[in-house]
Amino acid sequence: MASVVVAFELGGRPVEVLVSPLATLQQVLRTQLGHTSVKDGCRQGGCGSCTVLLDGEPVLSCLLPVEDVAGRRVTTLEDLTPVDGLTTVQRAFLDANGFQCGYCTPGMELVTKALLERNPAPTRADIAEALSGNVCRCTGYVPIIAAVEAAAAAGSAAAVVASEGATR
Amino acid sequence: MTVSTYFQPDSLPEALALLGEHGPDLLVIAGGTVAMPLINEGISLPAKVMGLRRVGLGGIEQRGDRLAIGAMATLTALTTLQEVPLLAEAARHTASWAVRNMGTVGGNLFTPPPGGDVATALLALDAQVELVGPAGARLLPLSGFWTGFMTTAAGPDELVARIVVPVAPGRHAFVKLGRKAANTPAVVTVAVRAAMDGEAVRDVRIALGAAGPHPLRSAGAEAAVEGRALTPEVIASAAGAAAEDAQPFSDQVASTWYRRRMVGVMVGRALAQLASAEQRGA
Repeated sequence: MASVVVAFELGGRPVEVLVSPLATLQQVLRTQLGHTSVKDGCRQGGCGSCTVLLDGEPVLSCLLPVEDVAGRRVTTLEDLTPVDGLTTVQRAFLDANGFQCGYCTPGMELVTKALLERNPAPTRADIAEALSGNVCRCTGYVPIIAAVEAAAAAGSAAAVVASEGATR
Repeated sequence: MTVSTYFQPDSLPEALALLGEHGPDLLVIAGGTVAMPLINEGISLPAKVMGLRRVGLGGIEQRGDRLAIGAMATLTALTTLQEVPLLAEAARHTASWAVRNMGTVGGNLFTPPPGGDVATALLALDAQVELVGPAGARLLPLSGFWTGFMTTAAGPDELVARIVVPVAPGRHAFVKLGRKAANTPAVVTVAVRAAMDGEAVRDVRIALGAAGPHPLRSAGAEAAVEGRALTPEVIASAAGAAAEDAQPFSDQVASTWYRRRMVGVMVGRALAQLASAEQRGA
């Protein structure tokens, strides 16, 4: 079992890891790179708690051999969280009580970010479909959907402010 | 983890050479959404694995009046395929967003029941499978690709390179029954494709998913509607024939009895959709 070196971009910075063949991105992010927001959930691709963004697209890191991400861009919740605060999406989840135990939250928030980038004003059906691969056993989903709606509203308000700022 | 080597060939010839060299010892994976859970769980313990993400088969190109879809095209790539709306609709109803970003059209042909919604749509579209091996490429009708539960006509030294789909005007219907609205395994999936001759249905193909060891067409239902207008009586007769043709199974999603009943109901709904559809292209 010869280990191999894999290089990829994590949160905008180059990383290199020594891994055994077919090690999953989930294992490597959590145990070798300290990104503990990437949860070890079902390992079946069924729960969404290991979701990361690969070149900006949501993927399940438990199903992805880390060798497959060589040269590509990986983003976890750690990479998005500002040092001195929260993102709009994180603030919205906090304000709406969009979690209880928090295990599903990193995956939920990454999918939310990816959704709002593509669809800044999603309907409730759009939100439910986008999050259908992310399982929450605490909230019953209602506050999560409310959090995504609030994040969308806050995001469009911020966009208006930004465009008004630009025209001045 | 018992895997000793993970091969990542950069081209199809290189992948075929590795397959020839390591033969049955080599587990070939595409998107990994079916194989990786089995490996993670310790159910599958392969020593050698070959991943196909770098072989360059992710593209979709026009070939005359056909679309050649690379086997490694993701399900997400299919969701926006305007030339073949039936395929796009089936892809949108498959799994979750993240799984669609990983799972591939080629892999969907090998997904055990009750998966394979895209494969069911491809069967209704009369798609062909392009198999490539040491002797070159050959095109096989998808209807002859599956030979049993998890067995196919692909040789041990062949790989699925592309899926070739006719692009033709006509109507389609896609109906999937699951236990919830999204990201759900099928109780039954029905995909229908037909040309129309006024009110009469021509060249109809009715494909059933999760209703047998692999996606299958209902010859009885097709015979019941071919050349006829889709009246309630004709639809009811086709639905009954489809329920008889189905070879359903029991699993954690649904029982044999329920699946057979739902094959009839869903074929009925699909044909009603087809009758009322104002569509261009399928």
